[in-house]
Amino acid sequence: MYPIGQYAPGQSLMHRLDPRIKILCTILLSFLVLQGGMWAALFFSVLLGSAFLFSGISFSRLWQSLKPMFVFFILLFLLHAFFTPGRPILPSSAPRFMPTSEGLYLGALTTLRFVLLVLCATLLTCSTLPMDLVHGLERLLRPLRRIGVPSHEIALMISLALRFIPTFMIELQRIKEAQMARGVDFHSGSIFKRLKKTVDLIIPLLLGAFRRADELAGAMESRGYQRGSRTYLRELHFSHSDLAVTCLMVVMTWGYVFRLQILKFFNPY
Amino acid sequence: MIKIENLTYQYDSNQKPILADLNLEIRAGEYVALVGPNGCGKTTFIRHLNGLLLPVKGDIWIDDWNTKDSALLPKIRQKVGMVFQNPDHQIVGTTVEEDVAFGPGNLNLSPPEIRQRVDRALEWVGLRHHLQTTSHALSGGEKQLLALAGVLAIRPIYIAFDEPTSHLDPLSRKRILRVLQKLNSQGIAIIHVTHNMDEIIHAQRILVMDQGKIILDDNPAAVFTRIELLQKIGLDVPKISALLWHLRQKGIALRADILELDEACLELYRLIKPENTDPVHLV
Repeated sequence: MYPIGQYAPGQSLMHRLDPRIKILCTILLSFLVLQGGMWAALFFSVLLGSAFLFSGISFSRLWQSLKPMFVFFILLFLLHAFFTPGRPILPSSAPRFMPTSEGLYLGALTTLRFVLLVLCATLLTCSTLPMDLVHGLERLLRPLRRIGVPSHEIALMISLALRFIPTFMIELQRIKEAQMARGVDFHSGSIFKRLKKTVDLIIPLLLGAFRRADELAGAMESRGYQRGSRTYLRELHFSHSDLAVTCLMVVMTWGYVFRLQILKFFNPY
Repeated sequence: MIKIENLTYQYDSNQKPILADLNLEIRAGEYVALVGPNGCGKTTFIRHLNGLLLPVKGDIWIDDWNTKDSALLPKIRQKVGMVFQNPDHQIVGTTVEEDVAFGPGNLNLSPPEIRQRVDRALEWVGLRHHLQTTSHALSGGEKQLLALAGVLAIRPIYIAFDEPTSHLDPLSRKRILRVLQKLNSQGIAIIHVTHNMDEIIHAQRILVMDQGKIILDDNPAAVFTRIELLQKIGLDVPKISALLWHLRQKGIALRADILELDEACLELYRLIKPENTDPVHLV
Protein backbone atom coordinates (compact mmCIF):
# COMPACT_ATOMS: atom_id res chain seq x y z
CA MET A 1 0.00 0.00 0.00
CA TYR A 2 1.28 3.46 -0.91
CA PRO A 3 0.87 6.46 1.34
CA ILE A 4 -1.30 9.10 -0.30
CA GLY A 5 0.46 11.14 -2.95
CA GLN A 6 3.90 9.69 -2.33
CA TYR A 7 6.52 10.22 -5.00
CA ALA A 8 6.49 7.56 -7.70
CA PRO A 9 9.92 7.43 -9.36
CA GLY A 10 9.87 7.82 -13.11
CA GLN A 11 11.43 9.47 -16.13
CA SER A 12 8.29 10.71 -17.86
CA LEU A 13 7.65 14.15 -19.26
CA MET A 14 5.67 14.96 -16.12
CA HIS A 15 8.61 13.97 -13.92
CA ARG A 16 11.03 16.07 -15.91
CA LEU A 17 9.01 19.29 -15.85
CA ASP A 18 10.41 22.14 -13.78
CA PRO A 19 8.87 21.93 -10.27
CA ARG A 20 8.15 25.67 -10.39
CA ILE A 21 5.98 25.17 -13.47
CA LYS A 22 4.24 22.21 -11.89
CA ILE A 23 3.42 24.14 -8.72
CA LEU A 24 2.12 27.12 -10.67
CA CYS A 25 0.09 24.86 -12.97
CA THR A 26 -1.47 23.13 -10.00
CA ILE A 27 -2.50 26.43 -8.45
CA LEU A 28 -3.80 27.81 -11.74
CA LEU A 29 -5.63 24.63 -12.70
CA SER A 30 -7.29 24.50 -9.28
CA PHE A 31 -8.48 28.05 -9.78
CA LEU A 32 -9.79 27.36 -13.29
CA VAL A 33 -11.48 24.15 -12.19
CA LEU A 34 -13.27 25.95 -9.35
CA GLN A 35 -14.32 28.84 -11.58
CA GLY A 36 -15.36 26.97 -14.73
CA GLY A 37 -18.68 25.23 -15.37
CA MET A 38 -19.48 21.66 -16.38
CA TRP A 39 -17.90 21.84 -19.82
CA ALA A 40 -14.72 23.29 -18.38
CA ALA A 41 -14.68 20.53 -15.74
CA LEU A 42 -15.07 17.87 -18.44
CA PHE A 43 -12.32 19.51 -20.48
CA PHE A 44 -9.97 19.45 -17.49
CA SER A 45 -10.90 15.82 -16.78
CA VAL A 46 -9.65 14.93 -20.24
CA LEU A 47 -6.57 17.14 -19.78
CA LEU A 48 -5.65 15.68 -16.38
CA GLY A 49 -6.49 12.18 -17.58
CA SER A 50 -4.01 12.47 -20.43
CA ALA A 51 -1.45 14.05 -18.10
CA PHE A 52 -1.76 10.95 -15.91
CA LEU A 53 -1.28 8.67 -18.88
CA PHE A 54 1.81 10.68 -19.81
CA SER A 55 3.21 10.52 -16.29
CA GLY A 56 3.17 6.71 -16.21
CA ILE A 57 1.86 6.79 -12.65
CA SER A 58 -0.07 3.61 -11.98
CA PHE A 59 -3.83 3.64 -11.64
CA SER A 60 -3.63 2.09 -8.17
CA ARG A 61 -1.75 5.14 -6.87
CA LEU A 62 -4.44 7.37 -8.27
CA TRP A 63 -7.07 5.27 -6.60
CA GLN A 64 -5.11 5.34 -3.32
CA SER A 65 -5.32 9.09 -3.17
CA LEU A 66 -9.00 9.25 -4.11
CA LYS A 67 -10.21 6.44 -1.85
CA PRO A 68 -9.95 8.22 1.52
CA MET A 69 -11.98 11.10 0.08
CA PHE A 70 -14.76 8.89 -1.24
CA VAL A 71 -17.18 9.36 1.68
CA PHE A 72 -16.69 13.08 1.40
CA PHE A 73 -17.45 13.01 -2.35
CA ILE A 74 -20.67 11.03 -1.85
CA LEU A 75 -21.78 13.30 0.98
CA LEU A 76 -21.04 16.36 -1.13
CA PHE A 77 -23.09 15.00 -4.02
CA LEU A 78 -26.07 13.98 -1.87
CA LEU A 79 -26.19 17.27 0.04
CA HIS A 80 -26.25 19.21 -3.21
CA ALA A 81 -28.77 16.87 -4.79
CA PHE A 82 -31.28 17.12 -1.97
CA PHE A 83 -30.86 20.66 -0.71
CA THR A 84 -30.67 22.68 -3.93
CA PRO A 85 -34.02 24.36 -4.57
CA GLY A 86 -35.59 23.57 -7.95
CA ARG A 87 -37.74 21.05 -9.80
CA PRO A 88 -38.01 17.60 -8.15
CA ILE A 89 -36.86 14.85 -10.50
CA LEU A 90 -40.15 12.92 -10.10
CA PRO A 91 -43.77 14.22 -10.28
CA SER A 92 -45.17 15.65 -7.04
CA SER A 93 -47.06 12.44 -6.20
CA ALA A 94 -43.79 10.95 -4.94
CA PRO A 95 -42.52 11.55 -1.33
CA ARG A 96 -41.76 15.18 -0.51
CA PHE A 97 -38.07 14.75 0.13
CA MET A 98 -36.71 14.44 -3.36
CA PRO A 99 -33.52 15.39 -5.18
CA THR A 100 -33.99 18.23 -7.63
CA SER A 101 -32.64 18.16 -11.16
CA GLU A 102 -30.73 21.39 -10.47
CA GLY A 103 -29.34 19.67 -7.38
CA LEU A 104 -28.18 16.64 -9.34
CA TYR A 105 -26.40 18.88 -11.83
CA LEU A 106 -24.78 21.02 -9.15
CA GLY A 107 -23.86 17.95 -7.10
CA ALA A 108 -22.20 16.28 -10.06
CA LEU A 109 -20.31 19.47 -10.95
CA THR A 110 -19.08 20.15 -7.40
CA THR A 111 -18.01 16.55 -6.86
CA LEU A 112 -16.21 16.48 -10.18
CA ARG A 113 -14.43 19.71 -9.24
CA PHE A 114 -13.17 18.22 -5.99
CA VAL A 115 -12.09 15.00 -7.70
CA LEU A 116 -10.13 17.14 -10.16
CA LEU A 117 -8.51 19.12 -7.33
CA VAL A 118 -7.35 15.92 -5.63
CA LEU A 119 -6.07 14.58 -8.97
CA CYS A 120 -4.16 17.79 -9.58
CA ALA A 121 -2.43 17.57 -6.20
CA THR A 122 -1.71 13.85 -6.62
CA LEU A 123 -0.21 14.43 -10.03
CA LEU A 124 2.08 17.08 -8.55
CA THR A 125 3.31 15.10 -5.54
CA CYS A 126 3.58 11.77 -7.37
CA SER A 127 5.75 13.16 -10.15
CA THR A 128 7.99 15.48 -8.08
CA LEU A 129 10.60 14.63 -5.44
CA PRO A 130 9.75 16.31 -2.12
CA MET A 131 13.09 18.13 -2.17
CA ASP A 132 12.39 19.44 -5.67
CA LEU A 133 8.96 20.61 -4.55
CA VAL A 134 10.54 22.49 -1.66
CA HIS A 135 13.19 23.94 -3.94
CA GLY A 136 10.60 25.00 -6.50
CA LEU A 137 8.50 26.61 -3.80
CA GLU A 138 11.53 28.45 -2.51
CA ARG A 139 12.34 29.82 -5.96
CA LEU A 140 8.75 30.94 -6.45
CA LEU A 141 8.68 32.71 -3.09
CA ARG A 142 12.11 34.30 -3.56
CA PRO A 143 10.82 37.52 -5.19
CA LEU A 144 8.64 37.98 -2.09
CA ARG A 145 11.73 38.25 0.11
CA ARG A 146 11.65 41.98 -0.58
CA ILE A 147 8.39 42.30 1.29
CA GLY A 148 9.73 40.20 4.14
CA VAL A 149 8.66 36.65 3.19
CA PRO A 150 11.48 34.41 4.53
CA SER A 151 11.58 32.09 1.52
CA HIS A 152 14.80 30.22 2.45
CA GLU A 153 13.61 29.68 5.99
CA ILE A 154 10.21 28.40 4.84
CA ALA A 155 11.90 25.97 2.45
CA LEU A 156 14.30 24.79 5.16
CA MET A 157 11.44 24.29 7.62
CA ILE A 158 9.51 22.15 5.16
CA SER A 159 12.54 20.06 4.18
CA LEU A 160 13.51 19.53 7.84
CA ALA A 161 9.94 18.42 8.57
CA LEU A 162 10.16 15.95 5.68
CA ARG A 163 13.56 14.75 6.87
CA PHE A 164 12.36 14.10 10.43
CA ILE A 165 9.04 12.35 9.71
CA PRO A 166 10.66 8.87 9.55
CA THR A 167 12.83 9.63 12.58
CA PHE A 168 9.79 10.58 14.64
CA MET A 169 7.88 7.52 13.49
CA ILE A 170 10.71 5.33 14.77
CA GLU A 171 10.86 7.32 17.99
CA LEU A 172 7.11 7.00 18.51
CA GLN A 173 7.32 3.24 18.02
CA ARG A 174 10.15 3.08 20.55
CA ILE A 175 8.21 5.06 23.17
CA LYS A 176 5.17 2.88 22.57
CA GLU A 177 7.21 -0.28 23.03
CA ALA A 178 8.82 1.12 26.19
CA GLN A 179 5.38 1.77 27.65
CA MET A 180 4.06 -1.61 26.55
CA ALA A 181 7.05 -3.21 28.29
CA ARG A 182 5.82 -1.54 31.48
CA GLY A 183 2.37 -2.98 31.06
CA VAL A 184 0.43 -0.32 29.15
CA ASP A 185 -2.20 -1.89 26.92
CA PHE A 186 -2.94 0.21 23.84
CA HIS A 187 -5.60 -2.06 22.41
CA SER A 188 -8.29 -2.08 25.08
CA GLY A 189 -10.27 0.31 27.27
CA SER A 190 -12.78 3.03 26.51
CA ILE A 191 -12.12 5.64 23.84
CA PHE A 192 -11.35 8.17 26.57
CA LYS A 193 -8.77 5.90 28.17
CA ARG A 194 -7.13 5.17 24.83
CA LEU A 195 -6.99 8.88 24.12
CA LYS A 196 -5.26 9.41 27.44
CA LYS A 197 -2.71 6.72 26.56
CA THR A 198 -2.03 8.45 23.24
CA VAL A 199 -1.35 11.71 25.10
CA ASP A 200 1.16 9.78 27.19
CA LEU A 201 2.93 8.90 23.94
CA ILE A 202 2.88 12.42 22.54
CA ILE A 203 4.50 14.13 25.53
CA PRO A 204 7.76 12.14 25.56
CA LEU A 205 7.84 12.45 21.78
CA LEU A 206 7.58 16.24 22.02
CA LEU A 207 10.20 16.44 24.75
CA GLY A 208 12.55 14.35 22.63
CA ALA A 209 11.82 16.57 19.65
CA PHE A 210 12.77 19.72 21.58
CA ARG A 211 16.04 18.21 22.76
CA ARG A 212 16.76 17.04 19.24
CA ALA A 213 15.92 20.47 17.82
CA ASP A 214 18.45 22.01 20.18
CA GLU A 215 21.23 19.68 19.05
CA LEU A 216 20.25 20.02 15.42
CA ALA A 217 20.46 23.81 15.70
CA GLY A 218 24.02 23.45 17.03
CA ALA A 219 24.97 21.12 14.18
CA MET A 220 23.42 23.46 11.61
CA GLU A 221 25.23 26.48 13.02
CA SER A 222 28.48 24.51 12.98
CA ARG A 223 27.96 23.95 9.28
CA GLY A 224 27.71 27.67 8.71
CA TYR A 225 23.95 28.09 8.70
CA GLN A 226 22.76 31.65 9.10
CA ARG A 227 19.67 33.55 8.14
CA GLY A 228 19.56 34.97 4.67
CA SER A 229 20.65 33.83 1.28
CA ARG A 230 22.03 30.42 0.48
CA THR A 231 22.58 28.34 -2.64
CA TYR A 232 21.43 24.84 -3.58
CA LEU A 233 22.91 21.73 -5.09
CA ARG A 234 20.23 21.40 -7.71
CA GLU A 235 19.67 23.92 -10.41
CA LEU A 236 16.23 24.26 -11.91
CA HIS A 237 16.15 24.15 -15.68
CA PHE A 238 13.44 25.69 -17.78
CA SER A 239 13.22 23.34 -20.77
CA HIS A 240 11.23 23.31 -24.01
CA SER A 241 8.50 21.16 -22.51
CA ASP A 242 8.22 23.66 -19.65
CA LEU A 243 7.75 26.37 -22.23
CA ALA A 244 5.07 24.32 -24.00
CA VAL A 245 3.18 23.72 -20.75
CA THR A 246 3.46 27.39 -19.85
CA CYS A 247 2.04 28.39 -23.23
CA LEU A 248 -0.87 25.99 -22.76
CA MET A 249 -1.60 27.43 -19.33
CA VAL A 250 -1.39 30.99 -20.62
CA VAL A 251 -3.81 30.23 -23.45
CA MET A 252 -6.26 28.58 -21.07
CA THR A 253 -6.10 31.42 -18.57
CA TRP A 254 -6.42 33.99 -21.30
CA GLY A 255 -9.39 32.11 -22.66
CA TYR A 256 -10.98 32.11 -19.26
CA VAL A 257 -10.32 35.75 -18.45
CA PHE A 258 -11.50 37.08 -21.79
CA ARG A 259 -14.32 34.57 -22.19
CA LEU A 260 -13.25 33.51 -25.64
CA GLN A 261 -15.81 32.00 -27.91
CA ILE A 262 -14.30 28.59 -27.39
CA LEU A 263 -14.76 28.73 -23.61
CA LYS A 264 -18.30 30.02 -24.04
CA PHE A 265 -18.89 26.82 -25.92
CA PHE A 266 -17.42 24.88 -22.98
CA ASN A 267 -19.30 26.91 -20.40
CA PRO A 268 -22.90 27.48 -21.49
CA TYR A 269 -24.13 28.36 -17.98
CA MET B 1 46.73 27.36 15.51
CA ILE B 2 43.92 27.35 18.06
CA LYS B 3 44.89 29.28 21.15
CA ILE B 4 42.84 29.07 24.31
CA GLU B 5 43.58 31.73 26.91
CA ASN B 6 42.19 31.64 30.46
CA LEU B 7 38.97 30.03 29.24
CA THR B 8 36.35 30.00 31.98
CA TYR B 9 32.76 28.98 31.44
CA GLN B 10 29.81 28.66 33.78
CA TYR B 11 26.10 28.48 33.03
CA ASP B 12 25.21 30.36 36.19
CA SER B 13 27.41 32.76 38.13
CA ASN B 14 26.44 31.09 41.42
CA GLN B 15 27.56 27.67 40.29
CA LYS B 16 30.97 26.13 40.12
CA PRO B 17 32.54 26.84 36.72
CA ILE B 18 32.34 24.00 34.19
CA LEU B 19 35.62 25.08 32.63
CA ALA B 20 38.10 26.75 34.95
CA ASP B 21 40.87 28.91 33.56
CA LEU B 22 42.05 26.69 30.70
CA ASN B 23 45.18 27.57 28.75
CA LEU B 24 45.96 25.49 25.71
CA GLU B 25 47.27 25.51 22.19
CA ILE B 26 46.27 23.17 19.40
CA ARG B 27 48.56 23.32 16.39
CA ALA B 28 47.47 22.86 12.79
CA GLY B 29 47.70 19.25 11.66
CA GLU B 30 47.83 17.85 15.17
CA TYR B 31 45.82 14.82 16.40
CA VAL B 32 44.69 15.72 19.88
CA ALA B 33 42.56 13.42 21.99
CA LEU B 34 40.50 14.79 24.85
CA VAL B 35 39.45 12.30 27.50
CA GLY B 36 37.74 12.63 30.83
CA PRO B 37 34.88 11.26 32.90
CA ASN B 38 31.25 12.20 32.22
CA GLY B 39 30.40 15.77 33.08
CA CYS B 40 34.01 16.94 33.22
CA GLY B 41 33.39 19.64 30.61
CA LYS B 42 34.67 17.98 27.42
CA THR B 43 31.62 18.76 25.33
CA THR B 44 31.38 22.28 26.76
CA PHE B 45 35.01 22.76 25.86
CA ILE B 46 34.81 21.73 22.22
CA ARG B 47 31.61 23.71 21.72
CA HIS B 48 33.78 26.75 22.35
CA LEU B 49 36.08 25.96 19.46
CA ASN B 50 33.68 27.16 16.76
CA GLY B 51 31.79 29.71 18.79
CA LEU B 52 28.71 27.64 19.60
CA LEU B 53 29.48 28.70 23.15
CA LEU B 54 31.36 31.86 24.06
CA PRO B 55 33.74 32.11 27.02
CA VAL B 56 32.47 33.83 30.16
CA LYS B 57 36.08 34.81 30.84
CA GLY B 58 39.12 34.48 28.61
CA ASP B 59 39.48 34.23 24.83
CA ILE B 60 39.71 31.67 22.07
CA TRP B 61 41.75 32.52 19.01
CA ILE B 62 41.35 30.54 15.81
CA ASP B 63 44.35 31.59 13.69
CA ASP B 64 44.14 35.06 15.26
CA TRP B 65 40.37 35.31 14.98
CA ASN B 66 38.56 35.73 18.27
CA THR B 67 35.37 33.68 18.56
CA LYS B 68 33.77 36.59 20.43
CA ASP B 69 33.76 38.62 17.20
CA SER B 70 30.39 37.63 15.75
CA ALA B 71 31.32 39.02 12.32
CA LEU B 72 34.09 36.41 12.11
CA LEU B 73 31.92 33.45 13.18
CA PRO B 74 31.05 32.31 9.63
CA LYS B 75 34.78 32.26 8.76
CA ILE B 76 35.65 30.51 12.01
CA ARG B 77 33.03 27.83 11.38
CA GLN B 78 34.50 27.32 7.94
CA LYS B 79 37.86 26.58 9.58
CA VAL B 80 36.64 24.52 12.53
CA GLY B 81 34.21 21.75 11.65
CA MET B 82 32.36 19.75 14.25
CA VAL B 83 30.96 16.22 14.25
CA PHE B 84 28.59 15.39 17.10
CA GLN B 85 27.81 12.27 19.05
CA ASN B 86 24.46 11.30 17.59
CA PRO B 87 24.37 11.24 13.78
CA ASP B 88 20.57 11.37 13.82
CA HIS B 89 20.69 14.79 15.45
CA GLN B 90 22.96 16.40 12.86
CA ILE B 91 21.72 15.20 9.50
CA VAL B 92 19.67 17.93 7.85
CA GLY B 93 18.98 16.61 4.36
CA THR B 94 16.37 14.14 3.19
CA THR B 95 18.85 12.50 0.85
CA VAL B 96 22.57 11.90 1.29
CA GLU B 97 23.65 14.42 -1.35
CA GLU B 98 21.23 17.08 -0.10
CA ASP B 99 22.70 16.73 3.37
CA VAL B 100 26.29 17.12 2.25
CA ALA B 101 25.23 20.10 0.12
CA PHE B 102 23.88 21.93 3.18
CA GLY B 103 27.24 23.34 4.31
CA PRO B 104 28.48 24.46 0.86
CA GLY B 105 25.01 25.95 0.25
CA ASN B 106 25.43 28.04 3.39
CA LEU B 107 28.69 29.33 1.92
CA ASN B 108 26.73 30.53 -1.13
CA LEU B 109 28.82 28.48 -3.54
CA SER B 110 27.65 27.96 -7.10
CA PRO B 111 25.73 24.74 -7.89
CA PRO B 112 28.60 23.18 -9.94
CA GLU B 113 31.03 23.92 -7.09
CA ILE B 114 28.59 22.41 -4.57
CA ARG B 115 28.23 19.33 -6.77
CA GLN B 116 32.01 18.91 -6.93
CA ARG B 117 32.42 19.26 -3.16
CA VAL B 118 29.56 16.86 -2.46
CA ASP B 119 31.05 14.23 -4.76
CA ARG B 120 34.56 14.65 -3.33
CA ALA B 121 33.41 14.50 0.30
CA LEU B 122 31.27 11.41 -0.27
CA GLU B 123 34.07 9.77 -2.24
CA TRP B 124 36.38 10.47 0.68
CA VAL B 125 34.25 8.79 3.33
CA GLY B 126 33.27 5.98 0.93
CA LEU B 127 29.59 6.80 0.51
CA ARG B 128 29.73 7.82 -3.13
CA HIS B 129 27.39 5.01 -4.15
CA HIS B 130 24.72 6.37 -1.77
CA LEU B 131 24.23 9.79 -3.43
CA GLN B 132 20.46 9.50 -3.79
CA THR B 133 19.77 7.31 -0.77
CA THR B 134 17.40 8.75 1.82
CA SER B 135 19.51 9.65 4.83
CA HIS B 136 17.45 7.78 7.42
CA ALA B 137 17.90 4.53 5.49
CA LEU B 138 21.65 4.43 6.22
CA SER B 139 23.18 2.36 9.02
CA GLY B 140 24.48 4.04 12.17
CA GLY B 141 28.08 4.00 10.99
CA GLU B 142 27.16 5.28 7.53
CA LYS B 143 25.12 8.07 9.12
CA GLN B 144 28.16 9.17 11.11
CA LEU B 145 30.27 9.05 7.94
CA LEU B 146 27.60 11.15 6.24
CA ALA B 147 27.76 13.66 9.08
CA LEU B 148 31.54 13.77 8.57
CA ALA B 149 31.14 14.21 4.80
CA GLY B 150 28.82 17.15 5.52
CA VAL B 151 31.62 18.75 7.53
CA LEU B 152 34.36 17.88 5.01
CA ALA B 153 32.41 19.61 2.23
CA ILE B 154 33.02 22.89 4.07
CA ARG B 155 36.78 22.12 3.84
CA PRO B 156 37.77 22.90 7.45
CA ILE B 157 41.35 22.66 8.69
CA TYR B 158 40.39 21.64 12.21
CA ILE B 159 37.66 19.11 12.97
CA ALA B 160 36.36 18.46 16.45
CA PHE B 161 34.69 15.10 17.06
CA ASP B 162 32.44 14.78 20.11
CA GLU B 163 32.41 11.07 20.97
CA PRO B 164 31.84 10.13 17.34
CA THR B 165 31.84 6.39 17.96
CA SER B 166 29.69 6.09 21.07
CA HIS B 167 26.56 5.09 19.13
CA LEU B 168 28.33 2.65 16.83
CA ASP B 169 29.05 -1.07 16.66
CA PRO B 170 32.71 -2.22 16.71
CA LEU B 171 33.01 -2.50 12.94
CA SER B 172 31.64 0.98 12.24
CA ARG B 173 33.81 2.27 15.05
CA LYS B 174 36.92 0.94 13.34
CA ARG B 175 35.79 2.43 10.05
CA ILE B 176 35.36 5.88 11.61
CA LEU B 177 38.72 5.67 13.38
CA ARG B 178 40.47 4.77 10.13
CA VAL B 179 38.86 7.76 8.45
CA LEU B 180 40.01 9.99 11.32
CA GLN B 181 43.60 8.87 10.91
CA LYS B 182 43.42 9.28 7.15
CA LEU B 183 42.08 12.81 7.63
CA ASN B 184 44.92 13.62 9.97
CA SER B 185 47.47 12.30 7.48
CA GLN B 186 46.05 14.82 4.98
CA GLY B 187 47.01 17.62 7.34
CA ILE B 188 43.68 18.23 9.03
CA ALA B 189 43.91 18.77 12.77
CA ILE B 190 41.70 16.40 14.74
CA ILE B 191 40.31 17.08 18.19
CA HIS B 192 38.86 13.77 19.28
CA VAL B 193 36.73 13.62 22.41
CA THR B 194 36.14 10.13 23.76
CA HIS B 195 35.78 7.84 26.77
CA ASN B 196 37.51 4.99 25.09
CA MET B 197 41.29 4.99 25.54
CA ASP B 198 41.81 2.22 22.98
CA GLU B 199 40.66 4.63 20.28
CA ILE B 200 43.36 7.19 20.88
CA ILE B 201 46.65 5.31 20.99
CA HIS B 202 47.39 6.87 17.60
CA ALA B 203 46.89 10.41 18.85
CA GLN B 204 49.93 12.66 19.01
CA ARG B 205 48.76 14.17 22.23
CA ILE B 206 46.26 13.30 24.92
CA LEU B 207 44.55 15.85 27.11
CA VAL B 208 43.00 14.45 30.28
CA MET B 209 40.28 16.61 31.71
CA ASP B 210 38.71 16.46 35.13
CA GLN B 211 36.35 18.94 36.76
CA GLY B 212 36.91 21.60 34.15
CA LYS B 213 40.69 21.45 34.24
CA ILE B 214 43.33 19.82 32.05
CA ILE B 215 45.20 17.55 34.49
CA LEU B 216 47.46 15.79 31.97
CA ASP B 217 48.76 16.94 28.59
CA ASP B 218 51.26 14.54 27.06
CA ASN B 219 51.84 11.87 24.44
CA PRO B 220 49.87 8.59 24.77
CA ALA B 221 52.77 6.51 26.11
CA ALA B 222 53.40 9.00 28.89
CA VAL B 223 49.72 9.43 29.73
CA PHE B 224 49.11 5.69 29.94
CA THR B 225 51.82 5.28 32.58
CA ARG B 226 49.74 7.43 34.92
CA ILE B 227 47.37 4.55 35.63
CA GLU B 228 46.68 5.47 39.25
CA LEU B 229 45.75 9.04 38.44
CA LEU B 230 43.51 7.96 35.55
CA GLN B 231 41.78 5.32 37.64
CA LYS B 232 41.18 7.84 40.42
CA ILE B 233 39.09 9.98 38.06
CA GLY B 234 37.27 6.95 36.66
CA LEU B 235 39.16 6.28 33.43
CA ASP B 236 40.74 3.08 32.18
CA VAL B 237 43.96 2.74 30.25
CA PRO B 238 44.27 0.37 27.28
CA LYS B 239 44.75 -3.24 28.41
CA ILE B 240 48.19 -3.53 26.80
CA SER B 241 49.45 -0.44 28.61
CA ALA B 242 47.99 -1.71 31.89
CA LEU B 243 49.62 -5.12 31.51
CA LEU B 244 53.06 -3.68 30.73
CA TRP B 245 52.73 -1.16 33.55
CA HIS B 246 51.95 -3.91 36.06
CA LEU B 247 54.91 -5.97 34.82
CA ARG B 248 57.18 -2.95 35.17
CA GLN B 249 55.87 -2.42 38.71
CA LYS B 250 57.09 -5.97 39.45
CA GLY B 251 60.53 -4.86 38.39
CA ILE B 252 60.58 -6.36 34.91
CA ALA B 253 62.55 -4.18 32.52
CA LEU B 254 60.18 -3.23 29.70
CA ARG B 255 60.07 -0.20 27.45
CA ALA B 256 57.49 2.35 28.52
CA ASP B 257 56.49 3.57 25.06
CA ILE B 258 54.70 0.46 23.80
CA LEU B 259 51.06 0.93 22.81
CA GLU B 260 50.26 -1.68 20.17
CA LEU B 261 49.48 -5.34 20.72
CA ASP B 262 52.05 -6.77 18.26
CA GLU B 263 54.80 -4.55 19.58
CA ALA B 264 54.05 -5.66 23.14
CA CYS B 265 54.08 -9.32 22.08
CA LEU B 266 57.45 -8.88 20.44
CA GLU B 267 58.90 -7.18 23.49
CA LEU B 268 57.63 -9.94 25.79
CA TYR B 269 58.93 -12.61 23.42
CA ARG B 270 62.37 -11.02 23.48
CA LEU B 271 62.21 -10.98 27.25
CA ILE B 272 61.47 -14.68 27.39
CA LYS B 273 64.00 -15.64 24.70
CA PRO B 274 66.74 -12.99 24.78
CA GLU B 275 68.95 -14.96 22.37
CA ASN B 276 66.35 -14.66 19.63
CA THR B 277 66.78 -11.28 18.01
CA ASP B 278 65.09 -12.00 14.71
CA PRO B 279 61.98 -9.99 14.20
CA VAL B 280 59.10 -12.43 14.45
CA HIS B 281 55.49 -11.80 13.70
CA LEU B 282 53.43 -13.20 16.48
CA VAL B 283 50.16 -11.46 15.86
